Amino acid sequence: MDTLNELLGGFAAAMTWQNLIFAFLGCLLGTIIGVLPGVGPVAGVALLIPLTLNLDPTGSIIMLCAIFYGTQYGGTITSVLLNTPGEASSAITTIDGYAMTKLGRAGAALTLAAVGSFVGGTVATIGLVAAAKPLGELGLLVGPPEFFALMVVGISLLVALAGKSMVKALISGALGLLISMVGIDPVAGAPRFTFGMDRLLDGVSFVAVIVGVFGLSEILSYRKNSKTPLVHAPGMRSLLPSRTEWRRSAPAMARGTGVGFGLGLIPGMTGSVSSLLSYAAEKKFSRFRNELGKGAVEGVAGPETANNAHANAALIPLFTLGIPASPTIAVLMGAFLQQGLTPGPALFTEHSDIAWAIIASLFIGNVLLLLLNVPLVGLWTSILRVPTPILTALILLFMVIGAYTINFDVFDVFVMIGFGLLGLALRNLDIPLAPMVLTLVLGPLMERSLRESLEISQGDFSIFTSRPISAVLIGLGVLIICSPLLKVRKPKALTEDPEA
Amino acid sequence: MTTESLMTKPESAARVAPSVLTGIGAFTAVGLYVLVSSASLGLWTSLGPGPGLFPFAMGGVLVSMSALWLVQELRRPSAAAEGIDRGVVISVVVSLVVLALLMDLLGFQLSMFLFLLYHLKLRGQRTWLSSLIIALAGSVGAFYAFNYGLNVALPVSAFTPLNLIGF
Repeated sequence: MDTLNELLGGFAAAMTWQNLIFAFLGCLLGTIIGVLPGVGPVAGVALLIPLTLNLDPTGSIIMLCAIFYGTQYGGTITSVLLNTPGEASSAITTIDGYAMTKLGRAGAALTLAAVGSFVGGTVATIGLVAAAKPLGELGLLVGPPEFFALMVVGISLLVALAGKSMVKALISGALGLLISMVGIDPVAGAPRFTFGMDRLLDGVSFVAVIVGVFGLSEILSYRKNSKTPLVHAPGMRSLLPSRTEWRRSAPAMARGTGVGFGLGLIPGMTGSVSSLLSYAAEKKFSRFRNELGKGAVEGVAGPETANNAHANAALIPLFTLGIPASPTIAVLMGAFLQQGLTPGPALFTEHSDIAWAIIASLFIGNVLLLLLNVPLVGLWTSILRVPTPILTALILLFMVIGAYTINFDVFDVFVMIGFGLLGLALRNLDIPLAPMVLTLVLGPLMERSLRESLEISQGDFSIFTSRPISAVLIGLGVLIICSPLLKVRKPKALTEDPEA
Repeated sequence: MTTESLMTKPESAARVAPSVLTGIGAFTAVGLYVLVSSASLGLWTSLGPGPGLFPFAMGGVLVSMSALWLVQELRRPSAAAEGIDRGVVISVVVSLVVLALLMDLLGFQLSMFLFLLYHLKLRGQRTWLSSLIIALAGSVGAFYAFNYGLNVALPVSAFTPLNLIGF
């Protein structure tokens, strides 16, 4: 009953006209980012953080969350109409989505994907409501050693799951941690890696780094002769799926919700893995599995439901334990921290009103996206007709504004340029970027909990193994990192994960 | 990076791509620098872990993983990357650096106008009309939208004459 009352309070706060506008704007911007093949959700969310800096914390986080799941809805549009995924997590949708377009059923595919996304997103948000209290209370029992161990598990999972090589993932993770350590050391007050520059005493701007590594490097890896695609929006009348299509999609949506929700809870799993495994589930369990690949609705409804259920479920570890499960969530966590909110169990005790307003806005955002997405498909496709040079110029404009407005200092623009080049080098060396973002955000928290734990134990490292919860978690982390030595093979879906 | 490395067979005669070797060298160098400088920050104090402990561990990870990567590459060189379009990289990076250098001097509006015009007209070969309209909207338009709409102040020119005419 308590939870329901708090959720209703959250709805009252989220339904103010300002917050509704923020949610609406976020959904709009998120869909645009999702539609644009060049800008992924990580860079997109980071890029728009500066827009929200002057807003109140609730409005700002509502808008950023809406941008985040808006990208999941938007990514589908290009997958279905153009055979080009707007986001990595919609890549698998191209197979049957584009086949449906060729059969003249593009409208139905987009509607079913949007409805599936709505179902997946809403069910996962209900899961968040149910899990918030109990998990949050459990989280309050966690001391610095357990928190450190929890982060070790989260990072090791991401490192183990990202890309093809764990060695490269560890390099990426170590780089992120080192970047997060630039500036004044939190305990002794000594400057670290500042190279004598006063501007670096406060550390490197997180937004400038993310925008550089994820956004600018993407633009730098563009090829000159990329052409503007030819795309036709389906007519309004063709947007309605037939009764058979509805009937066939329902079980696929149910399976997609299960797969996406379950995997969304595990740190290191990306939305792409959920959509890939959901497609695999359709291949195995669907009554119409023989039609998959030739334009079967299950191949659209399943994966699209799964990636949205995943996106929303991934907020559960963030809200309740303070652990970001994916790179985009890590950027969202960075935005929380910039607003002075620390995600985790304390969020529900110290800022319970904000936490519940954000959760309520997730429901509202999913409804908004369902209403916005399909009827406005003509508008979204017109964005795709904008020629590449104009899009590139405008994206660069936003990147410069985004980097500058963090501290109102041109220095951060240079930081963004430098990290753009680093990102390009990492992409070319096939080093996954995901572990770097996660450790960049978690670095300071991880170091603080490590040092607090060692201060409690007066320098004795056995504190991590003598307390049962942290001992189990550290053991798990070691096991995950050592899994290549144990010849544990990764499932195929993970090695092919395009987001890692 | 070369077609040669693409065509050679892995295992036996293949060689490690120069870009990979440069990468491994760079990560090792960064790792060694971190190891040395964090050791001088102090790894342990009377109160417990010092400011250098955590970075020291990360430097260690970087050096050891780079070494492991080298061993892996020597055993089985990875396929060469697709390569990059140097023209795109140079024009984008140089134009951004010039923009960043000029932004405080000329102000956001003028420097961004020139930046956008370069990307739209010179690089993108759009028509003069569309280039001018978009460049104006992205510079003057964005300046006023951010300053008055979002309360976010973008830089104005450091030169008084430019400043007086609204830049």
